[in-house]
Amino acid sequence: MFFLQSLLSGILTGGVYALAGIGMSLVFGVMNISNFAHGDLMMLGMYLAYFAFTLLHIDPYLSLLLIIPTAFLFGFILEKVFIHRIINHLHQNQILLTIGLGLIMSNTALLAFTSDPKILTTSYSSSAVHILGGISLSVPLLLSFVITCGIIGILFIFLSKTTTGLALWATSQNREAAQLMGINVAKMSAIAFGLGTSLAATAGALIAPTYYIHPMVGHTFLLKAFTICVLGGLGSVVGAGVGGVVIGVVESMSSTYLSSDWKDVVVFIIFLAVLLLRPQGLFGKKGEQ
Amino acid sequence: MKNKFVSIVAAALVALPLLAHAAPIKIGFINSITGKEAQIGENLTNGAAMALEEMKAKGIQVELIKEDDGGDPKNALAAYEKLVTRDGVIGVVGPYTSSSANVVASRSDQYQVPLLVPAAAKEDITMKGYKNVFRLNAPANVYSSVLMTAVASYKPKTIAYVYAATDFGVSTVKTAQENAAKMGLKEVANEKYQQGQPDYRPSLAKVKAANPDLVFLVSYDADAILLMRQAKEIGLTPKAFLGAGAGYTTAQFAQQTEISNLVISATQWTDDVNWPGAADFARRYKAKYSKEPSYHAACAYEAMIIMIETASKSNSAAKLRAGLKAGSWNGIMGPVKFADYNGFTNQNNHPMLVQQIISGKYETVFPAQFSKKKLVYPFTR
Repeated sequence: MFFLQSLLSGILTGGVYALAGIGMSLVFGVMNISNFAHGDLMMLGMYLAYFAFTLLHIDPYLSLLLIIPTAFLFGFILEKVFIHRIINHLHQNQILLTIGLGLIMSNTALLAFTSDPKILTTSYSSSAVHILGGISLSVPLLLSFVITCGIIGILFIFLSKTTTGLALWATSQNREAAQLMGINVAKMSAIAFGLGTSLAATAGALIAPTYYIHPMVGHTFLLKAFTICVLGGLGSVVGAGVGGVVIGVVESMSSTYLSSDWKDVVVFIIFLAVLLLRPQGLFGKKGEQ
Repeated sequence: MKNKFVSIVAAALVALPLLAHAAPIKIGFINSITGKEAQIGENLTNGAAMALEEMKAKGIQVELIKEDDGGDPKNALAAYEKLVTRDGVIGVVGPYTSSSANVVASRSDQYQVPLLVPAAAKEDITMKGYKNVFRLNAPANVYSSVLMTAVASYKPKTIAYVYAATDFGVSTVKTAQENAAKMGLKEVANEKYQQGQPDYRPSLAKVKAANPDLVFLVSYDADAILLMRQAKEIGLTPKAFLGAGAGYTTAQFAQQTEISNLVISATQWTDDVNWPGAADFARRYKAKYSKEPSYHAACAYEAMIIMIETASKSNSAAKLRAGLKAGSWNGIMGPVKFADYNGFTNQNNHPMLVQQIISGKYETVFPAQFSKKKLVYPFTR
């Protein structure tokens, strides 16, 4: 029973991690940029969900309909104003820029929303469904997981069936060749960054009802998202999805069978092992940078 | 002639501070105004500011020099050294955090300037025999002992610990284990966790399987809410939840009535305790800052009152030290006396209070002589 409880709880938590990881991976795949502002974009998503709930009285899951387009637009503008300037620059410059943007976001949030943690309490915040005699699944986590699966499904159809999606895919495979084939790669970058931002904000909004909201919360999730991306293979959407669930389950299992104190140690041991044995990540292609 | 004039002016300038010294007494205040602990630091700032205003209204001439340590022991020590060497204060109130207070305490005998610690809980601070360190609040071991004494009459048999892997968490649980052993409680689960994680369910499921009578929790701010939510989700229902301070004593936690109801916690002060002036202090504080005072605010207020009152009767650090050692007070923190007992030096044997959240409100329930309500046991959902 412990095993099942811990497995299911890990998969559900992992689903939200996966969503955060996928956004980061998508941006890396298309633009070849590690977005270190990703965690702070998640934090903004959390605050959006919080204010939609407290000021507009919209359920955090319904507020996604507002958050996704808002975040897309924000990401699109960020790319047009800042990110596209450094797209062909050295990696360290890109990292500095995105870290800088992240710092501006988190500290602006600190000024605007203060350092008091906010708690989003819905009527179902601490409710659970009980299955198979004794296994309890958190209702908000379950909802988040279902929505995550839906979003990943839509994203997959978008990437494999639509013209824009295929153009994005092509850009991520080979930027120069895509440009030669007449794909507007500058526009693709802006779309990819917009998508990455809305995935980050969605992950933030999905985790908000089961977590607390604080301007500095981005750092915790940035580290998770980055680990997930590298584990799954940088740039691989499927890899990030699997990576997220793997990390969720490993965390959950190690808290059950070792101690909650040790779960990060186990996660990073696995992370190092993957880097040593399969440097391109679980789903990354060999020779990719 | 010109040289003589210059030397007279120079002599006058040197003498001036000596003349000025005769006027107000100088007190230092080290606090965490910025940094991680800024939220709690603000409560201390407000409490101290109220005390200062009152003392000035009574006509006591006092100059308070405030220093920020940002929650960092290094800065706290630098602030203390600046206060005693450059500003020439005769006494210092603060710092807030245990780690800062501990470091400053270790140097106070070197500078011979009394330090009055208002709210830091680490036992060591008053256990090293420092002559110049005084502490108003009760040390960490009292958190667990008062909680267990409060439920002892209901004869619980087993206990589980769930706590943050921090200095405060680990040391509080260590003393709790000693107290539990004395009471003959059997430990059935021990879960230490890393702060800020989204999922504590696996740890809580283990605790649930052990089916303890008591669950003893040590967590900060928002983690407390997260833990209790997830405890409700997985259906953890012991006879009592004992929250050792911090996250279980905030107004934000109490407002989450669905999960906070009947949680028992230990605190240094409450606004419904029958100590002289406590209710009045709470009322004035609320009027001034439009929020409830935390125990930190009350500790800082009382510490500042004691420091200024005593300092106004003494004009040197040595006399202030003697005054603190000899004096006794009875204010919003109850009876205060800096005594030597059980290995402590200059420690106020402060009676901690046990409070229980009843429909979103903290009610003092133990010890009986300080409380109006009775403890609800066992816990029911």
